[in-house]
Amino acid sequence: MSILAINPGTYYHIESLEGPRYAKYFDQLARPEELADLDLTQFNVVLVPCRTPADRLAPFADKLRAYLDQGGTIVSTGESDSQHWLPNVKFTPQPTNFWWWLTPGADLGVRVAKPEHSLFTYLTEKDCTYHLHGWFDVPEGAEVLVVNERKLPILYVDQVSTKGRMVVTSLDPFYHHGSHFMPATTRFLDGFLPWVREQLDGKAA
Amino acid sequence: MPSQRQLLLIHSHYGSPPGLFQHAVEQGVGTIVRERDLTRAHFDAASGLITTTHIDQLGFPVWSEAVQALLARGDRWFFNGHILRELIPGLRTFVPIVKAKRADLVLTRLHPHPIFEGIEQSSFEENKGVAGFYGRGHNPMPDGAVAINGVSAANFPVDWEWTLPGGGKMFSHAGNDIGGMGSVNKSHDLIAPRLISWTLGDLG
Repeated sequence: MSILAINPGTYYHIESLEGPRYAKYFDQLARPEELADLDLTQFNVVLVPCRTPADRLAPFADKLRAYLDQGGTIVSTGESDSQHWLPNVKFTPQPTNFWWWLTPGADLGVRVAKPEHSLFTYLTEKDCTYHLHGWFDVPEGAEVLVVNERKLPILYVDQVSTKGRMVVTSLDPFYHHGSHFMPATTRFLDGFLPWVREQLDGKAA
Repeated sequence: MPSQRQLLLIHSHYGSPPGLFQHAVEQGVGTIVRERDLTRAHFDAASGLITTTHIDQLGFPVWSEAVQALLARGDRWFFNGHILRELIPGLRTFVPIVKAKRADLVLTRLHPHPIFEGIEQSSFEENKGVAGFYGRGHNPMPDGAVAINGVSAANFPVDWEWTLPGGGKMFSHAGNDIGGMGSVNKSHDLIAPRLISWTLGDLG
């Protein structure tokens, strides 16, 4: 087993995780509550999709920490309030402007902060640009990959807070892709999930 | 006479409940319950049920029998979202409009309904000039359901009402939650009290 994805069961989770476009990137799906009985050490990556209710994961915060401390990787996408169930995550929400692109020439301000990172051989700055939900105060030594209009982190990799790796973002592509809304989010997942498979799981996409 | 009966308002996402739910509570006709805290007694005591787009469709089937019992005794269920599991017998999987263009998002009233009376369905098409929030596909209608609103030139039934043998009714809206209080589209504010009244059985 390689990649475990948590499936909280909304329509957008089911569509994103079970649908034919991305199902091959998840070797096993599990309900949040099934974390109680799962041996996480058999997985290289545990992926938590957008809008997973934090109160369904918080009971397993210690188990997730133990998984990280033995070298595991957790990927957490937006609106899942990962500050409540991952260590050393500090999140500040920001008002979401859904309408910025209606102004000709407008710029949401999303920027790739580390273009040489492997992630950006899979996706572009434009693929990360649709709207903003908030930013993170990241620990010293974390790799900031994408920032918002104030140069504050919205996607980063933390390999300093634990012995493992956390990939944390406030972007919420699974929600919008699973809702058949916002093509940029589908483009994001088209690059992001092969990156997770190849670079985090270490297998061919 | 305001109804003293209580709607079961299932709060599925993490965070504050929807404005519609708060409105029902303020009117004294609704009880908000986190989805993970549901018991059979909540369904048995309810005079109607509203669920949101965030319902856990893998977990909710455990309440299928309770929902069927609610409908069989003549009560009502207002469902928002895309159906991905057969939550009660007769429901089928959501069909999206693939790569929808603006013309695919035209909304048309197909049958009069008290929730929408006097409101042009086209007024729901856009929020700040952007179309697609209302619905981008349809939940296939069960046998005997009536299409209320259509989306696209093909009039796919984005909204339908289904009267079950026991007299209970299900309303399916295949898109983002409607009747949200404080929406940028004021038509939603207009229908919010009606949506609550319909689910209580006091309207239509």
